[in-house]
Amino acid sequence: MEQSLTDLLYGFSVALEPGNLMWSVFGVLIGNLIGVLPGMGALTTISILLPLTYFIAPVPAILMLAGIFYGSQYGGAIGAILLNLPSHPPHAVTCLDGYPMTKAGRGGAALGVTMMASFFAASVGIIVMIFLSPLLVDVAFKFGPTEICSIMLLGLLAGATMSRGSPLKGIAMTLFGLICGAVGTDVITGTQRLTFGLTELGDGMELTALCMGLFGVADFLVTINRVAAKPVRVKVRMADMRPTRAELKQAFWPMIRGTAIGTLFGAMPGTGPTITTFIAYAFERKLSKTPARFGTGAIEGVASPEASAHAKTQVDFIPTMSLGIPGDAVMALLLGGLILKGIQPGPQLITEHRDIFWGLIASFWIGNVLLVVLNVPLIGVWVRMLQVPFKFLYPTALLFICIGVYSTRNSLFDVAEVAAFGALGAVFLKLEFSLAPIILGFVLGPMLEENFRRAMLLSRGDAMVFFERPISAGFMTACGLLLAVQLVSYWRKTILAAPAPQPEELMSE
Amino acid sequence: MQSLKPSCKERIGAALLIAMGLGIMNAGYSYELGTLRHMGPGLVPFALGAMLSLVGLLIGATTGGGDRARRLPGHEVGHGAGQGEAQTDADWRGWLCILGGVVSFVLLGHFGGLVPASFAAVFLSALGDREATLRESAGLAAATTAAGVAIFHYGLHLQLPLFRWG
Repeated sequence: MEQSLTDLLYGFSVALEPGNLMWSVFGVLIGNLIGVLPGMGALTTISILLPLTYFIAPVPAILMLAGIFYGSQYGGAIGAILLNLPSHPPHAVTCLDGYPMTKAGRGGAALGVTMMASFFAASVGIIVMIFLSPLLVDVAFKFGPTEICSIMLLGLLAGATMSRGSPLKGIAMTLFGLICGAVGTDVITGTQRLTFGLTELGDGMELTALCMGLFGVADFLVTINRVAAKPVRVKVRMADMRPTRAELKQAFWPMIRGTAIGTLFGAMPGTGPTITTFIAYAFERKLSKTPARFGTGAIEGVASPEASAHAKTQVDFIPTMSLGIPGDAVMALLLGGLILKGIQPGPQLITEHRDIFWGLIASFWIGNVLLVVLNVPLIGVWVRMLQVPFKFLYPTALLFICIGVYSTRNSLFDVAEVAAFGALGAVFLKLEFSLAPIILGFVLGPMLEENFRRAMLLSRGDAMVFFERPISAGFMTACGLLLAVQLVSYWRKTILAAPAPQPEELMSE
Repeated sequence: MQSLKPSCKERIGAALLIAMGLGIMNAGYSYELGTLRHMGPGLVPFALGAMLSLVGLLIGATTGGGDRARRLPGHEVGHGAGQGEAQTDADWRGWLCILGGVVSFVLLGHFGGLVPASFAAVFLSALGDREATLRESAGLAAATTAAGVAIFHYGLHLQLPLFRWG
C-alpha cells in the first residue's frame, strides 16, 4: 500500500519530466485530433503513429502511444454523438442514444456527460491498476513457460470468441495472425519459414505494415464511395456542454455501474471493449424503469457505456503490462510497440522498468486531466474537423501510411506489404471476418511458440503437463469453459431458436 | 457485396481458409516437423495450418440451416468461390486507385524518390473517389506532398532522397 504510493509518486516524477510530458501531451492531442476524424479509430491512429516511436526513447514513446490511445477513444465519442459515426466499434453503442440527444439539441450535454463519465471511470481504473498490479506480479513470478502458454491460449481464445461477429471466424482470424507471426527465420534452427523465397521476409513481417494494411488501407477500400458526406449542422459551444442538474442526477448511477462493469471486464484478458460497452448498455436498459426511453436520447445510455469503455481501457493495461497478455488488438499494438523498443513485457517489467510502468500510470492521470482541459475549449475545432470530407482525408492518410511504414525499416518492401495486407484485409472484411484478432495472434504468436517449445522441452514432450500443473490447469479449464459456452450458445441458436435474430449478428452490424 | 447471399459469403470464406490452411500445412511439412520433445521448425506452422483448415471446414459446415439442403450436393465450394468474386459489387475504381497508389509509392520511391512517389500515391488514390476531378486531385497531391516533404524530409530526416534516378 505505502509502497504503491511511493511508486506512484515516483511515476509522477517520471511522467512530469518535460521530455516525457511533451510527448504525452502530443500523443493525447494527436490522438484526439485523429480520433475525431471520421473513419479513424484508435487502431488506425496508433498504426499510423507507431513509426514515430522509432525516433524517441522508450519511456516517452510508450507514454505517447498510450496518450494516442485514450485520446482517440475520446475523440471517437465526439463523432459518435454528433454525427452518428462510430469510428471505433465500442462507440457504436454511444451512437444509439448520443445521436438522438444531438438531434434534440442536447449534444453538448451528452459530450459533457461523456467527458465526466470517462474521467471518473479512468480514475477508478487507474486506482485499481495501482493496487492490483503488484499483486498480479507476485502471482506472475510463479509462472513458467507452461503457465505462460496456457494463459496466452486463454487470452487468444477469449479474444477470438468474445469479440464481435462469429466466434469461429474470430478463431480463424486469430490462427491467421499466429501464422503471420510464424513467418520469418526460425529462432532455434534458422530455417526460413513461409517466406515464399523472399529474403525481405526473413526478419518476419513488419507489425506496422500489417496494422496499416489491415486497419488503414483495408478500411479505405471498404469505405470508399460508400459513405455519403454528412453535412454537420450542429453547433456546440462551451456553454452547451454543461449538463443540467437533472441530467447529472440521471447519469450518476449509470456512470458508477458502467465503471464497475468496465473494471470487471478489464481484468479478464481477451474481452474486447465492444462487448463491455454492449453489456453496460444492456444492463442499464434492464435496470431502467423506463426502458422505452433508450434509443431516443436517454443520457444513461451514453454515460454507462462510455464509463465502462474507459474503465476497461485502463484496467486492460494490467494484464498487458504485467503478464504480457494484451486484452484486445489496441493493447496488442501497444505491446508490439514495447517489443519494438526492446522491452519484453511480463512480470519483470514492473521491477526492471519501474520508470515505464509507474510513469505510464501517472501519465494516464495527467493525460485524462489534459483531455478534459483540451476538450472543453477545443470542442468547436473538433466539430469543424468532423466536416473534413473523406475524399481529402484518405489520400492524405494513405501518404502518411506509406511514408510511416517506409521509415520504420527504410524498406519499400514493407510498403508493398501494406498493399498486400490491405487487399487481403478488405477481402476478409467483405466476407465478414473481423480483423482485430489477427493483431492479437501476430503479436502473441512468436511468444507462444517460444514458450510452447520451452515447455515441451522441460516436460520431455509430454503435452499433459498443461493439465498437470495447477495454475496452468486452471487456465485450461477456463479455455474449456469458454468453448463449452460457445457450443451451448450455438446449439441453442440453431436448434432451439432458428428463426430469431442472433445477438452476435446484431452486434456485428 | 450486398448482392451476395450470406451463405455464399460463408462458403467463400471457408474455401479461402481451407486453401490457406492446406498450403501452410504443406509448407510446414517441408520444414521438418520433429517430435514434441524436440520440435522442428515446421511443427508449429503445420499445426496452425491444420487448425485453420479445420476451422474453415467448421465454418463451411455450419452455414445457415435454411439453405443446407441446397448446399449438400457439395463440390460447390471451390466453384462458388470463382462465381462469388465475379458477383461482388466491390468498388473496383476505388480499389484499383487506392492499391495503385500504394504500389506507385513503392515503384516511384525506388526509381524516382520521395517527391514523385508521394505525389503519385496521393494523386492516384484521390482519383478513387467517384466525385474526384483531375484538377482537385492534383491540387491535393501537391499540397500533401509539400507537407510530407516538410515534415518527413526536413523535420524527421527520412532516409528516402527527394529525387533519385534509377
